[in-house]
Amino acid sequence: MSKRVLLHVGTPKTGTSYLQDVLFRNRRTLAAAGILYPADRFDGQFLAALDLMELPWGGLEEEAIGAWDRLASQVRAWDGTAIISHEILATASRGEVARALSSIGHPEVEVHVVLSVRDLVRQIPAEWQENVKHRAELSYGRFLKLIQKPSRKGRIANWFWGVQEIPDILNRWCHDLPPDRVHLVTVPPPGGPSNLLWERFSQAFGLTGLELDLEGERANPSLGVPETALVRRINRRANHAVDPARYRPLVRELLAHQTLSRRSESPRLTLPPDAYPWTQELTGAWIDEIKARGYDVIGDLGDLVGPPPKLPYADADHPDESEVADAAVDAIKALLLENARLLETEQRLSRELAQAHHDRHRLRGGVVRRLERSRTGSRLLAGYRRARARSSRSA
Amino acid sequence: MNASVSADQGERRAWGWVHHLRDGGTTPWAAWLEPGTPVAPVVPGAQQLELLRRLNLTGPVSPVLADRVLGASAVGRGRPDLQLVGAAQLTRFGPRPADPSEVSANELLRVATHVLTEDLVAAGVPRRRRTPPARPWRTRYQLLGDPELVGPILAGLVARGRPPGGTGARVVVLGADLGRMLANAWTVRCFDLGARSWRAWTRRLKEQDRLPGRADVALVARQWARKVGPSNVHVVLDPAALPDLLGVRHPVELPAAPAAEVPDLGRRIARVLGLHVAGDERSALLTRRLRPWLADAPGLPLGLPAEQLDWAGKHAERIGRQIRDAGYAVHGEPDALLPGDRAMVEVPSDMATLHLALRTMLAGTPRTTSEEAE
Repeated sequence: MSKRVLLHVGTPKTGTSYLQDVLFRNRRTLAAAGILYPADRFDGQFLAALDLMELPWGGLEEEAIGAWDRLASQVRAWDGTAIISHEILATASRGEVARALSSIGHPEVEVHVVLSVRDLVRQIPAEWQENVKHRAELSYGRFLKLIQKPSRKGRIANWFWGVQEIPDILNRWCHDLPPDRVHLVTVPPPGGPSNLLWERFSQAFGLTGLELDLEGERANPSLGVPETALVRRINRRANHAVDPARYRPLVRELLAHQTLSRRSESPRLTLPPDAYPWTQELTGAWIDEIKARGYDVIGDLGDLVGPPPKLPYADADHPDESEVADAAVDAIKALLLENARLLETEQRLSRELAQAHHDRHRLRGGVVRRLERSRTGSRLLAGYRRARARSSRSA
Repeated sequence: MNASVSADQGERRAWGWVHHLRDGGTTPWAAWLEPGTPVAPVVPGAQQLELLRRLNLTGPVSPVLADRVLGASAVGRGRPDLQLVGAAQLTRFGPRPADPSEVSANELLRVATHVLTEDLVAAGVPRRRRTPPARPWRTRYQLLGDPELVGPILAGLVARGRPPGGTGARVVVLGADLGRMLANAWTVRCFDLGARSWRAWTRRLKEQDRLPGRADVALVARQWARKVGPSNVHVVLDPAALPDLLGVRHPVELPAAPAAEVPDLGRRIARVLGLHVAGDERSALLTRRLRPWLADAPGLPLGLPAEQLDWAGKHAERIGRQIRDAGYAVHGEPDALLPGDRAMVEVPSDMATLHLALRTMLAGTPRTTSEEAE
């Protein structure tokens, strides 16, 4: 049975993709050091989280069947430290948390909950952008209104607070854990040393001193203001015409991640200045609560305050139209290149198919000519032709 | 009185209500005062508790079912499990505690769907009954078109030794009012991989200006005319013509359309079932277990939303022209394709679907389906 389980339950947009990529690629090195990262594919723990929370997710359901139970049984069977990490676990309900903890051996096993957290000043625009990259059509202003309503009704507000409200996430996951088994990793403010966040993760997960390959490939790149505005306009115009299965590779991957995210000179998406007082008041209440609970903080709770407003403010609902047009030209170019690639593939496949037909006809002609040369062959051929004629009639 | 004492009293009151509901009680939370002892680490959510109260209002609930409801997750995305107003510890964080009677039907359906999905998986795929041998002197036919119309008729014919196919088979394409065929196409999707809502689905069809393949009688007829020639294709818009064409003596009636809530509940379950069973089993559970299980639900069938009627009417007229001009034998009037004015439901309401879910949960999974019984 595991001696210790480290359960990293969020939050999104805190370097989780990078962390999970490093853990997955180094799982053998980790195992040699007595640390289990149970996953046989890079998104294995995502599937387990979907299974635990019964969340249908774009056709991945079938691959998720039984994934949590398999994960939990690997963890229970491991005689050392085990790490489970996925940010959507932040939304788990109390019942799902109870099931998850019991399945990994709580309370007999020493369970630690790790929550990586970032200031709302950066989380709010990042969450809206993530919504836009998942087909959302709502404006930034509307998003801000929805998440500020105290009733929190609707899918957008429910999800946002489910994965971002730090004290509530900790209430659900840690209500019966001692505070020294709850670890908050704060994301450093922008402009600090690039490896600082990794050092904090290393400390939280006990990875310090291990020789790990840190050249991560997976990241969730962000878009600027005109690029996000463009994707939202595409959603509004094309959502009804493009199936979700086609949207993901064409819009999210090709346009947003591979093309528009490379435009790093455009203004960045930030929190509107008039939303600062609200976020600062909220953050202050969170910091007071976290201090009062006595959790282990890796980093600095002051990081949650976030950077000051960046002026002039670039409004994603009223972007500079020339910048949007420029981004749109880049998007058209990317689609043209992709179309050209697909046309070339189609032409190559057509040529290969024609060649295959040609080869088959030649082969058949050769066989027929050879059969017709002998009496037995001719009889066989005649019998075959009669049988074939019968079968065509009955079809 | 300090806050923690008050919260403790509130929690005891909540446990009192939990016991009351487990015993079949129907008193709303707002009117409940008696305390009770805890039986679990946390009080179940407002959604689970209110669903159990609604079940108790609908009929007698077994203790096993009551506990399953209280332990069920609310599936998919939506509100987190809500704490009871007046029982939750006072905190500035998390969603506001709720009065359970104000929880929406859609939220209660998320919990009900969990329970029904478990029932469905436990019931398993029905055994296929043995098909009788084909009668050698039967009329050879191919019956095509809307699977909701054709499927039950075909099943009846196969059970009587009259399977489709064979040399020189007559091609019979069955059509009906296009509104019904669109509702049927959506129903098929609901019991397949799950579908978006009826209103969103029809709106998208209109925007793309396309019909699902098998609702377009002209398209089906054209595809078969290429194989067998137009003179061998019969388009049937009046079911009275079916007995002669299929070679049976008894009248062939079109299957009754299900209540509008049936596909709506089906699509909710289909979406979650994929997290429990895979591929063929999922498909068989939905079509051969769940569908017959819900078949007898009373209620008006689904009809096209008013804003889609003109668009569908134009397609019905286009199909009528195409089948008339193509030289097929047309049985019945092409006007039969026009979206009808039968009494129907334009959009299934969450409340009506919840009532169906409650009745279905109480009835439990039938031990056999008609497929097994025959």
